[in-house]
Amino acid sequence: MDAGLLGQFVVNGMMLGMMYALVAVGFTLFFGVLDVIKFSHGDVLMVGTFAGFSTYLGISALGIDNAFVQLIGVLVAAVCSMAFLGAVIARYLVLPLKSAPPLNVLLITLMLGTVLRETVRLFYPDGSNPKPFPYLLPTDSWAFGSFTLRADSMILLLGGLLVIVGVHILINKTKMGLAMRAVAQDEETAKCMGINFTLIVLLTFALGSGVAAFAGVMNGLYYNEINFGMGLLLGVIGFSAAIIGGLGNIYGAILGGFLFAGLQTIGAVALPFSSAYKDVFAFSVVIALMVWRPTGLIAEKSSERV
Amino acid sequence: MTDKSMDMLIGFVAIVLGTVFLITFVAIESQIEILGLIVLTAIAVVVSARMGISTRISEAFASNEPLMNSAMLLATLVVAFWFREDHFPLLMIATVLLYLTACLGLNMQFGYTGVVNFAGAGFFGVGCYTAAVLNQHTAVPHLLVVVLGGVIAALVGSILILPVLRTRGHYAAVVTIAFGIMFKTFLEVNDTLGGPQGLKVPGMEILGWSFNSNIEIGAEIELSFYLNYVAIGLALAVLAFILTRRIERSWVGLSLDAVRLDETAAACFGVNIKRWKITAFTLGNFLIGMAGAVFAMMLGFIAPTNFAFGDSLILVSIVLLGGMGSPWGTVIAAGLVILLPEKLQAIQEYRFLLYAIVVILILLFRPQGLLPRGLRTYVPGWRG
Amino acid sequence: MTKGHDKVLAFRGLTKRFGGVVALDHFDMEVDEGQIVGLIGPNGSGKTTSFNVLTGIYAANGGEVELLGQNITNWTAQKVCEAGVARTFQRSRLCVELSIFDNIMIGNHQHLNHGLMFNIFQRKAFRRQMEESFEAAHELMAIFDPPLAGRMLEAVGTFGMIDRRRIEICRALISHPRLLLLDEPSAGMTEDETRQLMDDILVVRERINGLSIVLVEHEMGMIERVTDRCVVLNFGQKICEGTYREVASDKLVQEAYLGVE
Repeated sequence: MDAGLLGQFVVNGMMLGMMYALVAVGFTLFFGVLDVIKFSHGDVLMVGTFAGFSTYLGISALGIDNAFVQLIGVLVAAVCSMAFLGAVIARYLVLPLKSAPPLNVLLITLMLGTVLRETVRLFYPDGSNPKPFPYLLPTDSWAFGSFTLRADSMILLLGGLLVIVGVHILINKTKMGLAMRAVAQDEETAKCMGINFTLIVLLTFALGSGVAAFAGVMNGLYYNEINFGMGLLLGVIGFSAAIIGGLGNIYGAILGGFLFAGLQTIGAVALPFSSAYKDVFAFSVVIALMVWRPTGLIAEKSSERV
Repeated sequence: MTDKSMDMLIGFVAIVLGTVFLITFVAIESQIEILGLIVLTAIAVVVSARMGISTRISEAFASNEPLMNSAMLLATLVVAFWFREDHFPLLMIATVLLYLTACLGLNMQFGYTGVVNFAGAGFFGVGCYTAAVLNQHTAVPHLLVVVLGGVIAALVGSILILPVLRTRGHYAAVVTIAFGIMFKTFLEVNDTLGGPQGLKVPGMEILGWSFNSNIEIGAEIELSFYLNYVAIGLALAVLAFILTRRIERSWVGLSLDAVRLDETAAACFGVNIKRWKITAFTLGNFLIGMAGAVFAMMLGFIAPTNFAFGDSLILVSIVLLGGMGSPWGTVIAAGLVILLPEKLQAIQEYRFLLYAIVVILILLFRPQGLLPRGLRTYVPGWRG
Repeated sequence: MTKGHDKVLAFRGLTKRFGGVVALDHFDMEVDEGQIVGLIGPNGSGKTTSFNVLTGIYAANGGEVELLGQNITNWTAQKVCEAGVARTFQRSRLCVELSIFDNIMIGNHQHLNHGLMFNIFQRKAFRRQMEESFEAAHELMAIFDPPLAGRMLEAVGTFGMIDRRRIEICRALISHPRLLLLDEPSAGMTEDETRQLMDDILVVRERINGLSIVLVEHEMGMIERVTDRCVVLNFGQKICEGTYREVASDKLVQEAYLGVE
């Protein structure tokens, strides 16, 4: 294994880590605010990516060829539409089941994910086949021996980093973020303090979903391909990452995302005979981790009053 | 006419109507007729619910349980007999019975104990592949293979047990989902188990009686070989049903409910949470595995695509649709979920979407399911 | 009813921290066999926390819990129950979907046969045990709430808060515990209902030899009437102990409840 190839793996791993981290952040936000696991998250990501793709098709059809404009259009469409969808899901599926056993919310969002997935598969034109995602980023690359550094990788990494930093600032330095954290800590007290609980919940779901849509577009730009099933695996990975990092903890989620990507990379490097085994390997380690430290590497917040 | 005989009459009439419906539904081919029948039945069900007839029927069933159970069994035999020479209807009926067995296992896990299992199809698959491998390469008697299918599934489940034991449901959820995905991926990349093309499974054979050859009686009558599988499917389903009933109506069932409803309080009264979660999870997987083993032998061929996450969700939907913790509800739901898409070819393609929507509606508007679980009666009819 | 002088319960230097908050601060307390001890103190003083540490729901950060001479510190909830401790909860924790009988039987868990063989295959024997248990539960329920005793097979969800409180107490008493922990049992009750409740508990105490009770309450009339001794907690520390009279006239206690002028 020469350094160039290794470097390739590393960059690839970091890209994956970034995407998983973004998805995991969503999961952890939802859990923090409402104590719910929104299983449809991965599929919301997928819908967002398709929304972005459709926007691209629309913009191109209008004759606009500028890649930068297309990129902005795609991102805005994906993020905003998914923010909206996230809020709608919160309002009509999650909030009504607040007093039901938590199992029900888990199940309903799981089913919703299936609905989203199947809807795209069945009703999007030629939905069951993968679609080529356009090359909207500069395709320059620099070669250092056997190691090729792609410009788009750098841009994507930077973009992801900016989003993570943005979320961090939003949560920790703004009033809205403060309200989110208050609601996550203690719903009743937050309400007593005049925080509009429903609004904050909707905003949190919108935020998480928007971030996921961004991750989806990243995924599309990096692999230049999207398909209706991409959300399922990403969702499970994001969820596992969020759990490893300790549900409710944003930094844990980010850590978990990169950890999972690292495991996949190690698996791909160490078990070269089949790339699919990398998933088996990564999930096995995740399951083992959950056996060892079930509440995550950083402890999950516990809110039960006895 | 005494109250008791009135009850029995009502119960019998209901069962006869149900049997007639089932036979008609399975027999007719024309899509329009099927749709018509469904609409008619749906209307009848809604009307009878409004008029209180369905409550009356459930009361009739509840007060004469042993009799009604036998009548249901008889009805199933009648239906099987009606289609004795047709392959496809019998295949469907056998499938319903096997899925029912698996869902009763699933019900034990999350209907009673609250342990989520999103790898139901995975454990079913473990049973299938056990049967495939043992039948192909060993001379283990096939009835034992069925049991082993269950045992291996239970053993595989015990690997997952530690995270499953954790308090919060989402750990069990993510672990079982991850396992399900891993299992399918593992099967696909692994050529020793057939890879993506799958494996052939030799059919069942007990003491020389081959389950895979039609039954000839005299010179004129040839019964479909699927009748054999209906028989064993029915045996498994009855076994699973009785097991479920007896466990629910006992201190074990009470402990399982206590674990699901309030772990902390239950622990303070001495309930060993771990023990019951392990028991329910293992027993449930055992049933699922056995059903899988028979299923594989019946189909003659299995492939990883049968055991995807979506299939696990179907199993979960059946339990939810019927009513968590309600065995008869599971029976009805299994019938609906398996038979409807087979008969209404038009919706075959859309079935995952439809199931998901139906479950969402159920969770929002009628979370107790079609046949809600009632209060525990340790001994049927006992009033204290 | 003999009042032995054996200690049934002792807290020695019991300490419990939640992050930065010290809920119990070297808390000492003793309960003699057959006594009814009142545990009082302002809200948040650590009373329920001491119950939770005792019953194994929380792990202690320091100190010891001794039950009938055994060190049970950090035992699991199940083992504490087997040692003879039963409790009620401040926020009613019944399974509302289940029947009254079911709920009480959860309390009787350690005396029931849970073997799979027994429950699945030995149905006649099971039926006998079930009927016996029903008798016992019925008798107990009849003491606290006769109308409820005739409705044992109905779901708990059908009943109001006061009835549920009584069901919870029956659940705690069915296993004939050595030590009963009552956490604000009279909350929400009228004076008459409270008096009735304590009378009923005293009746049961007569029947169960050696039953000791720790009673957390805010209703001082009940404390005065029923307890042999009181222990006052404030910010996790014991600030006073003695009979109710002594404790009520103690300056520190008055300050804790009413503040300093």
